[in-house]
This record gives sequence, structure tokens and C-alpha cells, in this order.
Amino acid sequence: MKLPYSLFSRRAFLNSLIGGWLAALGAAFIGPLLKYIVPPTREPDQVSVPLADVKDMAPHTVKGFPWGNKPGLLKKTEEGDYIAFVGVCTHLDCNVKFVAEQRRFFCACHEGWYDENGLNVAGPPPAPLRRLAVSVEGEALIIKKQV
Amino acid sequence: MNVLRAWIEERLGLRAVTLFLEKKEVPRHKHTFLYYTGSSILLFLGIQIVTGVLLAFYYQPTLAEANASVVRIMTEMPLGWLVRSVHSWSATFMIALVFVHLLGIAFTKAYRKPREATWVTGVLLLGASLAFGFTGYLLPWDELSLAATKVGTNLPKALPVVGAWLTRVMRAGEDVTGDTVSRFFIFHVSVLPLAVMAFLGIHLFLVQRHGMSVPLEAERKGVKVPILPFWPNFAFREAGVWLVLLGLLMTIAVVAAPGIGPQADLMAPAPEGIKPEWYFLFMFQTLKLFPARVLGLNGELVAVLIMMAGMAALFLLPFIDNRPFARKGKVITVLAWAAFAYAVGMSIWSLL
Repeated sequence: MKLPYSLFSRRAFLNSLIGGWLAALGAAFIGPLLKYIVPPTREPDQVSVPLADVKDMAPHTVKGFPWGNKPGLLKKTEEGDYIAFVGVCTHLDCNVKFVAEQRRFFCACHEGWYDENGLNVAGPPPAPLRRLAVSVEGEALIIKKQV
Repeated sequence: MNVLRAWIEERLGLRAVTLFLEKKEVPRHKHTFLYYTGSSILLFLGIQIVTGVLLAFYYQPTLAEANASVVRIMTEMPLGWLVRSVHSWSATFMIALVFVHLLGIAFTKAYRKPREATWVTGVLLLGASLAFGFTGYLLPWDELSLAATKVGTNLPKALPVVGAWLTRVMRAGEDVTGDTVSRFFIFHVSVLPLAVMAFLGIHLFLVQRHGMSVPLEAERKGVKVPILPFWPNFAFREAGVWLVLLGLLMTIAVVAAPGIGPQADLMAPAPEGIKPEWYFLFMFQTLKLFPARVLGLNGELVAVLIMMAGMAALFLLPFIDNRPFARKGKVITVLAWAAFAYAVGMSIWSLL
């Protein structure tokens, strides 16, 4: 069947052809760009701390260790076990500190408190401090992501 | 001289611009002083550009050198302390004037038809100004700036879908590190200036296109407002305002030069008594007071969503307040005063 007139003009056809082309080209560039702007970061699978460094810790004291780019906090319990946390407040990511006199962790940014087991007890933090798994292997403490 | 002028005129045709300025008029009424805020913002923007370029001559945006290079600027470079002080104080002056400009326009409802687009570009410029402040705050890389940046870049994380990705884009990774300093630097000196140039170009063009707005009451009653010629009467008055502001800026910059804290340590706990810049204090206080859970939802998410709703309302204000003379317009005025009182109240509370 032959239409008596064209459904769209030659101009409209070329506009949408070239416009669609440019849009597709633009979209093809945006994907890689969005990928590029986020660098790969991986947190460590495990870190090891020489046992000699932490053997003399008194119960209810805390020692820091680097967990990738974040501070890790190692605590000795009453029974002499070690527990470890990522020392970063679960509210808005500030580094926390251990207040030895009160046996609590404190975040100065918005006054958040955690008890010595990392449980959020006061202020804005919505969740406990993130725990890491600690095991003794030979002469070293191995600290791993908790599964 | 006349030959040279004619030569330039033939090629550039600047006569159109000077003719426009000769005919430009400024309405004269009790709120005329608000018209000075716009040009005063431009004054401080100019100072920011000049002092910013000077600081960038010596500043090094890396983990190892950021803090040390700022210390060097302040202690070794001739008058470096003054350049940094002027940059820091001029930022405060500029943001303060941006707020006065915004409030003046909001409460005189000068955003009403046909100036909606001027308002929208203005809000975008406000966002860019605050982003300048936020990115600039990290660059000295001391304990305070690290903690402030951790909090600020963590906020979007609460948003669904894009939140975590946004945080990674801002931080250049999962955590605030030396890469974040480099990224903030390039935002501060390249991305944001380009954005401001674009928005400001449209903003200024629209202001000239529409002319200065007249007060709501005068427009409604159709009263003819007395006018002041822009050139030279208003321009000379502006020059006087600029002189006073410059004097104030230099005096404060000399007597109250900012210091710098110890170099940021990624492993150290956040310092006590941290506070963001004064223009973020109301958000800071809100975050501090917000409970961890609200109606079974993450409190942080609720706080971020409320802030975003506030920003959207500000952005779309001319379209929300589309009948400024009617009852709806009055209700919006009351709500705007309430929001303003909230921001001021929270800011003061955070300082107590």
C-alpha cells in the first residue's frame, strides 16, 4: 500500500536518527565513567598481631591495631580472651575511643556510647560495634572478618 | 582614544551593553538594601577565586603533604597566613551573604512569576557554595576536618539504592583516606568552579532580563515605585558597601587568623568537641538529637530524608508558593519563618 503522504518528514526522520545516535553514544560513555570514579577498595581478609605485643594486656583494657584503613580495637576480657572490633561508630563513621575508667566506648562526634562488649547503649548509634573474629595461631593473633 | 574606541565598538558592539546599563533602574523602597547582597556575594566570590589560586600555588593535595603544606603556607610563605585567613573569612562572609540574599528574596517573595528560574539557579548556587565549604574544610587535613568529612560523606549511605555508591564516589573508596583529599581538592578547584560559572551565568542573565523585582504589595496594588538609576547612583552606593565589607573582612582576617590542628590520623579516635562549620550546625545538632530508630525505621535514614525533603521544598519554592497573594502564600510565609527559627535555634543550641 502506498500512502498519499509521508507519516513523518525527512527532517523529523534525520533528527531522530542522529539524536538517537548521539544519545546512545552518550549512554555508552556514561557507563565506563561511572565505573572509573569508584576505585576498588577491599578490606583485609585478616590481619595478624604478634602475641608478644598483647600478652601483657590487663583485663578490660584495649589496644589498637590497623584494620585496613580503619582502626581495629582489641580488648582483653575478664577471662583472658581477646575480642576485636572495628573501631568505627555505627552512627556516622567516626572513630571511637575506649574510655578505660568507664569501660565503655565513646564516639565524640555525636556523643554515642557502647559498653565494653560493643553494644550500643546511649546516644544515636543504631547498632553495636562491628565484631571481628579472633583466634590464636602459634605466636600470633589472627583477626578475621566474622562470618 | 576615540579612534581606538570606535575600532573596538565596530568589532565588539559593546554599545548595546552600556545602553542597557544606562537605562537600568533600581526600585527604591524599604527593602532596597537587599539588592546590595547579590553584588556583595560577587565581591567575595572574586576574593575567593584570587586567594584560592594563590593558595593552590603551594598547597599539595596528598595524604603526606596536605597538612604540612598548609602549615608551610602559614609559616614560611610571605603573608601566607593572611592569604589563608582571607580565604577562610571571605568564605564565611560569602556564605552569610548567600543566606541573607536567599532569606531576603524568600520573605519578599521575589521568586514569584516570572522569576522562578532565577530562584532555581540561585538554590543551585547555594548548594555549590555549601559544597565549596564542605570540600574546603577537609583540605587542611587536620583531626577536625577528618571527623567532619567522615560524618558528611557517610550521610548519603542511609539512602536506599544509590546511597552506598554515592558515599564511595565522594570518598574515593570505602573510607576517608588520602584519595579523598585529592578528590575533594579537584572538586573544590575544578568541578565546583565550572558548575558555579554555568549557574551564575544563567542567574545573572536572568536578573538582567527581568530587572529588579518590586515589593509584593506595590505589585498587587499597581503602585508605581520610585526608582534609582543604576548608573551611576546605585553603582556608587554599591561601591560604598563593598568598601565597608572589604574593610571588615581585612580587619577580621588580620586579628582572627584561623589556626590548624594536628595532622589527621586515620587510626585515631575522633577529637572531643568536634563541630562543623557554622552553616552546618543546625544539621549537626539535628543528627545528634535524632534517635537511632524512629517508628521502626533507621533514624539516620529518616533524618536524611527530612533534610532532602527540606532541600526539595526550598528548590521548588516558587512552584509551591504559586499564589503569593492568597491565603496559601501567607501559610507558606509562616512555615518559612518556622523553618528559619528552627535552623537558628538548633545552631544556637549546638553551641551551648
